[in-house]
Amino acid sequence: MNLRRRLVPYLYIAPAFALTLVFSFVSMGISLYASFHHFDAFAGSSAFVGFDNYRRALWAPDSYFWVTMRNTGLYVIMTVVGVIATALPLALLCQRAPRGQALFRTLYFLPSITPGVVIALVFYHIFGVWGQLLDKAHTALPALALLGIWAGAGYNMVIFLAGLSDIPQHFYDAAKVDGANRWQQFRHITIPMLRNTLVFVAVMTIIGSFQVFTSVYIMTLGGPERSTEVIAYTIFINAFAVAGQMGYASALAWLLFAAVFVFVLVQMRVFRSRKVYDE
Amino acid sequence: MNKPFFSFSTVAFIAMIIGAVVMTYPYAYMVGSSFKTRREFAEDKENLIPPRFQPAQQWAHAQGEPSALDWPGADWSLWRNYVDAIRFGQIDRYLANSFIYAVLITAVQLFFNVLAAYAFARMEFAGRNFLFTLLLATMMVPPAVLLIPNFLVVRELGLVDTLWGVLLPSFAGAFGIFLLRQFFLNIPSELEQAARIDGCGSWGILWNVVFPLSKPVLITLGLFTFMGAWNMFEWPLVVLSNQDYYPLTVGLSFFRSENGADWPRIFAASVMGAVPLILLFLVAQRYLVGGISLSGMKA
Repeated sequence: MNLRRRLVPYLYIAPAFALTLVFSFVSMGISLYASFHHFDAFAGSSAFVGFDNYRRALWAPDSYFWVTMRNTGLYVIMTVVGVIATALPLALLCQRAPRGQALFRTLYFLPSITPGVVIALVFYHIFGVWGQLLDKAHTALPALALLGIWAGAGYNMVIFLAGLSDIPQHFYDAAKVDGANRWQQFRHITIPMLRNTLVFVAVMTIIGSFQVFTSVYIMTLGGPERSTEVIAYTIFINAFAVAGQMGYASALAWLLFAAVFVFVLVQMRVFRSRKVYDE
Repeated sequence: MNKPFFSFSTVAFIAMIIGAVVMTYPYAYMVGSSFKTRREFAEDKENLIPPRFQPAQQWAHAQGEPSALDWPGADWSLWRNYVDAIRFGQIDRYLANSFIYAVLITAVQLFFNVLAAYAFARMEFAGRNFLFTLLLATMMVPPAVLLIPNFLVVRELGLVDTLWGVLLPSFAGAFGIFLLRQFFLNIPSELEQAARIDGCGSWGILWNVVFPLSKPVLITLGLFTFMGAWNMFEWPLVVLSNQDYYPLTVGLSFFRSENGADWPRIFAASVMGAVPLILLFLVAQRYLVGGISLSGMKA
């Protein structure tokens, strides 16, 4: 009886844990193994090559790794800046709109519940009508970022609305008594009080846009002139469209992981969650 | 002090309406284009309204002047593109597949998550905190990193190009376990103690006491899981090669490459792909909005 009772909790967590174990930890082990091998899953061949895959990605003269990292970085910066610069003002406006808040929230939320493939297909045409944005190397990536901003603005507006509603009204009342204008209230109450929400939105948007894939796959296939070839797309192509590159693609995936990991660490150091004003 | 002519709330209202137009324009474009014939779409890509609904075209046609209504196809059924998308592109099958995948993933993942979250919230066992931390750590790993190795695992299990290959990796979800555990911790344990005195075991308490109390959070989590499963693209794209198993997302991408020139038909298929989730959203909106605030609280 006693042994049975002690086993019960493990039975409860077993299904979820076994799956996580296989599809995260075993998976990562395999990926790490593959990244140090010349690996061809389809031919069943595998030869140890040490750091060759990493070296090839980072230093080989014909490597596109830094190009894809630059594209990914630019996409991430444009998207996160754009999302915050639209979602926060939208939340402030939505809060003040005298009526229709629920309707606005519904309409702005539509992109979050539309399959990315559908969104990409429609924007493929809209960008075409707007002057072939996807056919030019200097406009294609900004166009993809525009799609990312359009798709992310409403969702993050709802998060900002939740953050705004947590700011006690008496802060504003006190500021008004002191003669603070709207800008001063925004600058000295809203922004500091929203700090944690801002960090949350920024981090989630950055991690998400680091992995942008669907819009590239549907709209540009990395072109023109590799101007939209982002890291997730390169990984996909090398692993599943080019024979015998799975080890190399795995090394790319680990480099992506390292980039995200370093970013998260830096962010945790810089924006350590803290209380801004005491109640 | 003079009052400004426009109050701030009026400006806010107008700005929100402009924003709403920007957000809905692509949907109007998609729906409008889906009712055009190929020629109508090719000749005018900017006007959202199909010629048959444009008063100017109708007027010209009635006067016997040449108009878009003389082009072939103007008298075809309004729903022709939709019918064709189903007949030639088996969009109905893709929709059914997506529905089956999303329902199974949601049901199984919720079930596994409830079990694990309950154990982590209410039971004492060796290694509990360590195992929980290990589980949470998996949330840090970007899915793009797991794509290749998960494919290798599924291939090793002989599940490539099968239903289970698509589903299996999605049955576990660390975030759901985290969320449910937080919720379970806030349920007063007096209720469970009362049930225990009445002779209920942990299984009975979970399903008769904890589960009914957790319905709102389960609905929210279930909706998010369902939406995620409905929208998944890269994983089924990698695992499946038999077109009959494609979910809607992969099916649409495939349909597009098969029907490269016939954009109105592709848009009709896209509308059919977007509508089910929008309907679900309209029905279940309050749970979703509440859920976003919930996820924002992690910050």
